[in-house]
Amino acid sequence: MTNTSTYQAYRRWVTEPLAGEPRISVVVPAFNEEWRILPTVGAIATHMCSRGEPWELIVADDGSTDTTVELLTDLRFPNMRVLIADRNRGKGSAVRRGVLAARGDYVLFADADQSTPVEQFDKLLDKLTSGYDVAVGSRAASGAAVSGRSLLRRTLSRGLRVVVSVGFGVQVTDTQCGFKLFTADAARTLFELQIVDNFSFDLEVLYLSSKVGLKVAEVPVEWIDAPGSTVDAAKVSLQFLTDLFKIRISDLRGHYTVGGHHSVARAAGRRHAIVPGEITNAPPVAVNK
Amino acid sequence: MRIRTETGAGHHSISLAGRFDAHEIDGFRLAFEPLLTQPGTIVRVDLANVVFVDSSALAELLRSQRAARESDGDLVLVNMSDPVRIILELTALEQVFTIEPGRNQPAGVSADISGKPAETR
Repeated sequence: MTNTSTYQAYRRWVTEPLAGEPRISVVVPAFNEEWRILPTVGAIATHMCSRGEPWELIVADDGSTDTTVELLTDLRFPNMRVLIADRNRGKGSAVRRGVLAARGDYVLFADADQSTPVEQFDKLLDKLTSGYDVAVGSRAASGAAVSGRSLLRRTLSRGLRVVVSVGFGVQVTDTQCGFKLFTADAARTLFELQIVDNFSFDLEVLYLSSKVGLKVAEVPVEWIDAPGSTVDAAKVSLQFLTDLFKIRISDLRGHYTVGGHHSVARAAGRRHAIVPGEITNAPPVAVNK
Repeated sequence: MRIRTETGAGHHSISLAGRFDAHEIDGFRLAFEPLLTQPGTIVRVDLANVVFVDSSALAELLRSQRAARESDGDLVLVNMSDPVRIILELTALEQVFTIEPGRNQPAGVSADISGKPAETR
């Protein structure tokens, strides 16, 4: 069988540790994803290797009780890290640990279900290389291609969008798409401040982006509903509204203050002062295989 | 996903293009099962233009392979794209399937049964 340049790059990536720092870090939160995680890793690896740039993959386990962690660690990929959590704390917690462990100049957070195909990464990166700090994959922006999303979910999303826009001043029309790209400095600034452990962390991160004055681009993406989702849209929406309130209270209480002055440059100066023990609420085990 | 079938003297093939996931299983089955009309039928599945396969699709390919082998035939994967090849390796399924490298498909009667534009998935 012919080995394409992409396949050859993939073989190098799975056998040889990077010689230097990665340009791109991909962070995938995972909770009981044994059914989906390997195809997702394969899709991400194929695309990232095709780009010809050094990159790393970080899978932030969220206390999985199935074989997710074993499947990943058995791969023994030198450029993939699996951050193991001692228990399930929520997607926000997992993404935070993953992002704060990232070493790349750009940090992508991508859901484990490949609802947003990883090929969409290129469009987001274009935004960051043209001066934005954060690029948000969006199912609501003009030009997005969305399939399989139920009427209930679409309706609830529209309602929440109004609440988020009016109540929080966040102008991004789709806060919850699990596909966001950050510059390294923006990622560190935001996720050092970010405290919400559940799925509402996306909103919190965008709220903080606005608060600290980061440039955010909303990029229309292709999105395909992942079958098998057990998310109860109505229940999730109620939780989301509750979290909106909590985020606002946290801000009023001063939990989001960066040294009394919000500045990406200021936060970036602290970038290398972070020690491993600070990157997580829980004591995760970083597995380098 | 776009599904195209070809049938000719002594061969059957199905060409897939796009994303092969749980949403596409029914369409694939609709294309595959009618081809198993005779014992010993070999069906080649061309994956050159498949950009992603999820676990449900892999399970469907295994199910189809088993159905073909039960009548002394086989399902053969041909022209695997990079993502398909890599995903099969990661899941250790490259040992399970009969895999052929790229080959020119003989001319025959063809039909596009999907009716969907290729770029939608």
